Amino acid sequence: MGTSRRDFLKVSGVATGTAITAGFLSQLETLVAASPELLQVSEEFVPTTCWIGKQDCGMLARVINGRVVKLEGHPANPRNNGTLCPKGVGQIMSFYDPNRVKTPLIRTNGKGEPGEWRQASWEEALGLVAEEMNAAREKGGSKFVWQKGRSKAKKFYDSAFVGASGALKLHHGAFCSDAGYRALEYTIGLHGVLHPDMRHTRYLLCWGWNVTNAGGNKFCWLTWPQQLVEAKERGLKMVAIDPRQRSAAHFADEWAPIKSGTDLVLAMALCNQLIANGTIDREYLSTYTNAPFLVGADGLFLRAEPESEEEEGKPLVWDEASGAALPFDNGNVEPALEGEFTVNGENFKTAFQLFKDHVAEYTPEYAAEVCGLEASQIVGIAQEIGENAMIGSTISIDGHTMPYRPVAIMAYHMSQQELGFQALRAMQMVMMLIGSIGAVGGQFSDFTWKEYKNWAKFEHLKVKDETNLYLKDSKYFPINSNNSSLVAHVINNPDKYDLTDDVIPDVVILHHVNPLGSFPDRNENFNAYNKIGFVAAIDPWLSRTADYFADVVLPAATIEKYEGPISATDSYIDAETLRLPPMDPLFQSKGDIDIYLDLCEAAGILYGEEGYLAQINSQLKLEGEYALPLDRKPKVREIFDNWAKSQELEGGIEFFEKNGVNVKGEIAATKRYPYAMEEPFAGIFPHRFYGESLLVAQKEMQDLGADEIYWRDYTPFPVWRELTAAQSPPGYDLDLISYHMIEFKQSRTPVPLLIEMAPKQFAEINPKTARAKGIEDGDEISVVSHNAITDEKRKVTVIARYREGIRPDAIAMPHHYGEYVKHPWVKDQGPSPNVLFFTGEGYVAQTADQTYLVKVKVTKA
Amino acid sequence: MANYGMVIDLDKCTGCRACMVACKVENNTPESNLWMYVFRFEEGEYPSTKTWFMPRPCMHCENASCVKVCPVGARYKRLDGITATDFDRCIGCRYCEVACPYGVNYFNWQKPEENYYIDWADPDLPSELNGEKPGYANPDLDQAYGSENRRIAGGGHDKGVMEKCTFCVHRVEKGLEPACANICPTHAIKFGDLDDPNSEAAQLLRSKPSFRLLEDAGTSPRVFYVGQHEPGPESRQIEEISARV
Repeated sequence: MGTSRRDFLKVSGVATGTAITAGFLSQLETLVAASPELLQVSEEFVPTTCWIGKQDCGMLARVINGRVVKLEGHPANPRNNGTLCPKGVGQIMSFYDPNRVKTPLIRTNGKGEPGEWRQASWEEALGLVAEEMNAAREKGGSKFVWQKGRSKAKKFYDSAFVGASGALKLHHGAFCSDAGYRALEYTIGLHGVLHPDMRHTRYLLCWGWNVTNAGGNKFCWLTWPQQLVEAKERGLKMVAIDPRQRSAAHFADEWAPIKSGTDLVLAMALCNQLIANGTIDREYLSTYTNAPFLVGADGLFLRAEPESEEEEGKPLVWDEASGAALPFDNGNVEPALEGEFTVNGENFKTAFQLFKDHVAEYTPEYAAEVCGLEASQIVGIAQEIGENAMIGSTISIDGHTMPYRPVAIMAYHMSQQELGFQALRAMQMVMMLIGSIGAVGGQFSDFTWKEYKNWAKFEHLKVKDETNLYLKDSKYFPINSNNSSLVAHVINNPDKYDLTDDVIPDVVILHHVNPLGSFPDRNENFNAYNKIGFVAAIDPWLSRTADYFADVVLPAATIEKYEGPISATDSYIDAETLRLPPMDPLFQSKGDIDIYLDLCEAAGILYGEEGYLAQINSQLKLEGEYALPLDRKPKVREIFDNWAKSQELEGGIEFFEKNGVNVKGEIAATKRYPYAMEEPFAGIFPHRFYGESLLVAQKEMQDLGADEIYWRDYTPFPVWRELTAAQSPPGYDLDLISYHMIEFKQSRTPVPLLIEMAPKQFAEINPKTARAKGIEDGDEISVVSHNAITDEKRKVTVIARYREGIRPDAIAMPHHYGEYVKHPWVKDQGPSPNVLFFTGEGYVAQTADQTYLVKVKVTKA
Repeated sequence: MANYGMVIDLDKCTGCRACMVACKVENNTPESNLWMYVFRFEEGEYPSTKTWFMPRPCMHCENASCVKVCPVGARYKRLDGITATDFDRCIGCRYCEVACPYGVNYFNWQKPEENYYIDWADPDLPSELNGEKPGYANPDLDQAYGSENRRIAGGGHDKGVMEKCTFCVHRVEKGLEPACANICPTHAIKFGDLDDPNSEAAQLLRSKPSFRLLEDAGTSPRVFYVGQHEPGPESRQIEEISARV
């Protein structure tokens, strides 16, 4: 390591000393206090970050004689405040695990079965990958594919590789929360799902398990529960909406055990009640949304004459002052929010009036029937939303007086359901009605108010007749979350989408992604990878996918490498950090960036103006004296040193080697709160309360002959319909859902310390349901899923566990079991629920997002 | 002399079990030895169900039944309240395990090098490990502590010897809090001098009603709980971790 312990302490001791309150010292302080001469061993504390989760918590690695012996939370990192989750502390095992891929491997047997391997030199393995990759690149199209799971830290080195190699990119979002991202990008233009303003929220709807269990918007876990606990002490009221109580309801004041997949209906019923109770924020709706826009019988906005042929006319609103239709952005306009108006002899309703008519049928009684809840509970929640929203109230922060609407929703992974896009739109509309969007204490979805590229793009969805490997801009999925299992489905059935075998990739690089382990549906993925000519995997572990299909495996490091920059914000304090190697990678593994530098060199795309180094310069904005020379391979530390210096950090990367984290201070109200900005909402409005372009896309899809299954959910308002899964035969009577456990989230990374915490797969089932089927707690059961479109069936056997805290019509299995990697500890753990889920039509959302809900038949095995 | 104790806020515990893993890494405990255990409980019938969590370290009782039954004085009370185990002196009779009403004692049935999760003798593991098993071996555990100068940290983990939570005595002697308190994401676990009214532990204990486990047993535990309630027959354990055999 570059830093001597003494140097590190000199700085860190000062930096952290004031943060300690009463009682106990941090490791750093005791080291400052102790005389180094007394220590029998060489001991240093190397700042780094977690690698196993998505939020990269700050860490201090205690290193004894070159060995990492403990990972603790970095006390100065605002994201985790000196603490860690079980995964964070347990991943220490990965440094040493001899079950990792130790050397580059080349396959010696046929594909489609567990691999047999010979060890190879880096030179030979990289040469082979480079040769195959270049041959595929030459053919163009979708012949060369690069697929990654979660990009850790800033994606600069991934984007640089895609840029330099021209690869087609696949990622993981469609299995995570992307239906929610698309809904929010569409509706308010931000890239995120739903989270509260924890410091100020007073009433929180926790929709799904994210706030207390393994994951959530922008953070993977720790920060949300930390903030939630503080908010609860302050008096926050919390309602948990989830078929399982174990999700977040143990922290909730109220549990609404909703039937799986019916969230859209509950949200629309809440809208119905908010309107009935008159608890709506007319000012927000009239000023910042398209709710007052006039809509004709065709569902389209009434528009002014366009100023030129290229432009579209401005949508009109009904001006109450003049009694005429005027452009919505006309300075003095007083738009009517409700009503029906006649313009040039034709009748128009405001979008809000249409919504009011639309939600009239979503009564609490109707929703209670669909959602399996009590109508009185729905009425009560709507009442409390309205009361707590304190519509009309303001609060002053940093001298800015802003609307105060302390009601919000926390939702993330629950968006992965058949109506996910529209369900998240509906939930957002609940918050729009009370004016909570971006208000203090209200609804947030990102840490800054910055326009995401899809906001403009979604004004006119591309609906093309010709299509491609992931059906982008197609008549099938005009909004498209890039679902790699659907890509697998296309590879297996190109004719179905008017494609030929030419679309099948020749070469795929799998970078830390394990489709056979992580993604449903497993059969679809298996068959698709079987058709790929050459597969290379970059991974610390031999993933199931690599074991069955890789030709070459390149051993990557885990924490022991440089990555970054990494945001360390907790959403209120701005901070940045880097991942630094607390020890050298073991065996022959290398840091990911090292591998790409070497691979690009072998492929002849490292140097020059179009090369990987130039791409890195562009991605990290390294210019002038900080730009990497384009004719020399740099050390990875040098890349980050240049970057840190370009950020004017004294000492460059040494700043992070000493301090671990660059805490920049509180995020100003003008950056955080859209009402404090010079132009409210950074100018990203009117918010799309009414989804006109969804309707336009629907018509275009119909015109191009797309089947109803593709276009039926492209509606301007969320519309409930029976789910595909509900059409399975009556014997398939339970809803299978899946979830993460905080101590076991490792579809790519086996950690024996964590596997011990959650050794065996199980299925949670309500005792009443189980007893009726003759199933005792602990019995082995057979779970058979059914695809209502294709009539396919899938089966696993698993241990049943009685839970009173689950709906009697649901059964739930945690993710990430099922021998996802080759490792002695993952054997006989039981099956992954991914075996039971399907992909393809009916089991993906209108945005091509994966659904995690299927009907199953459960019997004693 | 400090009077150490632990106060756990069950209203803050999310049941994540980070404390269990931190304990295992800090103290290098072998497989299945869970000095810290987090219970996850479910009560009531659907939909009037309640789920809650309770970490359970050693109670470090003032009137420790395990100390009374130890025939060789291996289990003893320190003046600062910590219930210590001298691993060199333990003869593995398991009387302490029988006497303890809290089930916090773990007997080593196997040689530790055969029970450390992975094969630490793998020839490809680098020489920097110096043959340490496990590779993350904590050098502080092998020292003698206290005026009595006995090896009471970590556990030795030798076959035939009993071990349990030490309140991370090796950290406490350095002025650090135990690993479980240090890691807790929601700061639910507070450790400190209960006689010092300014300690975080004493402050938390004053802030809400508290209980101790099995008060009737007369053991006078040094671990206090605030929030929730003492588990009873209505509390069903869920997601229990059983030893891997």
